[in-house]
Amino acid sequence: MLATGALLGEIEKAARMISAGSSMGDEERLLERVAAGDVESFAAIYDRYSRVVYSLAWKMLGDPQTAQEVAQEVFEAIWRSAGAFTPGRGNARTWILAMAHHKSVDAVRRQRLRAAEPLSESHVDDADVVGLALERVLGAEVRVALASLTEAQRAVVVLAYYGGYTQQEIARRLGIPLGTVKTRMRDGLRRLRGQLRVAEEITE
Amino acid sequence: MTHEELRDLIPAYALDALEPEEARAVEAHLPGCAECRDELSSLQAVAAELAAGVAPVEPPATLRERVLAVARPRRLAVVPSGLWRAGLAVAAALILILGGITLVQFQRIRTLAAHMGALSARLAAQERVLVLLASPTSRTATLRGSTQANVRFVYDRATGQGALLVSDLRDPGANFVYQLWLVAGQEPQSAGVFRPIPGQPIVIPVNADFRRYQAVAISVEQGPQGSSAGPTTVPILNGTI
Repeated sequence: MLATGALLGEIEKAARMISAGSSMGDEERLLERVAAGDVESFAAIYDRYSRVVYSLAWKMLGDPQTAQEVAQEVFEAIWRSAGAFTPGRGNARTWILAMAHHKSVDAVRRQRLRAAEPLSESHVDDADVVGLALERVLGAEVRVALASLTEAQRAVVVLAYYGGYTQQEIARRLGIPLGTVKTRMRDGLRRLRGQLRVAEEITE
Repeated sequence: MTHEELRDLIPAYALDALEPEEARAVEAHLPGCAECRDELSSLQAVAAELAAGVAPVEPPATLRERVLAVARPRRLAVVPSGLWRAGLAVAAALILILGGITLVQFQRIRTLAAHMGALSARLAAQERVLVLLASPTSRTATLRGSTQANVRFVYDRATGQGALLVSDLRDPGANFVYQLWLVAGQEPQSAGVFRPIPGQPIVIPVNADFRRYQAVAISVEQGPQGSSAGPTTVPILNGTI
């Protein structure tokens, strides 16, 4: 009887695996259906992510009109290339938000190119730039995590992620060697990873 | 660049803070390096939290309409592949329960069920082509270029549904994939990567507003992800849509 029970458990597992495609989460399955052209699943993804995608784009680009254009670009890319998402590698949320950031960075760089803002002639104080970039970052966990970095690490991570600057631009901007930027970026991200993991465990 | 040099670029890659040529070097390195892939996926998860930490602003309702207008519903219903799979699972379970089956047999059935799952996915893709071909507004483009192959692109501007049909395309080589591009003006956008299956035609579904594109192209790229920026090699096949 015991063996039968174990076998039935296995069967159930297999049945779930077969009917779900694999051991995917809810959002991964949604993306799979988007790839197959399911409009309702696409609408569900939009409803879950439009706010964070739009907010990130607005924060990085500084105006709602361009943010709308970028958000539209992001969701069109999701619709078009959901088939390129591989459930085994990373989760749907990370994939979608990486796409949102990537498109926002592209737009920020286009914006800067159009404005022809030479980095060396920028008169904005770097402390202001970091302060500006941190504005409206309100998520308590993220705020606490960012606060745990050294000031030097925070500046590099914030300028890169929210400012859309490359590490070479950051080195020029802060007048420090590229190697230093790389080290601060790596150490900063690793510390954030530790902090955010701790936060996750506490809320569980 | 050495593995150590590329590994040092992973944090900046996760933050989209590399110069384009550096990003391409990392992308070429990733498929062959599990260590860098793991580091990247864990740092990308951190980056995702930075996105989620931005104070939320509600997007205008008009944005939702515009975005969803891109995804148009199909005209004909297609048998959902999920039903197929569920039916298979129930059948497999019944056989097991009725037969008092050994674990070896069970494993065999499981393997079979996995094969059938893959088959049902292929069937769904083929059904999609049938639906497309049945549509009075669909068109077909034949891709031509430097390689011998039978590759066609079927698309429907009215529904935004399309599919690439591939047969007799040679293997791109280990570590390489074919990448399909939709081209609007000078801007190629990726529509997915694929590898041919010897002796079998394959179907790659594509959803897009085809009114915006003038051409489709296929290039050979580093696998498994392909290129994120645009073709890095001269496309081997091209077609006008």
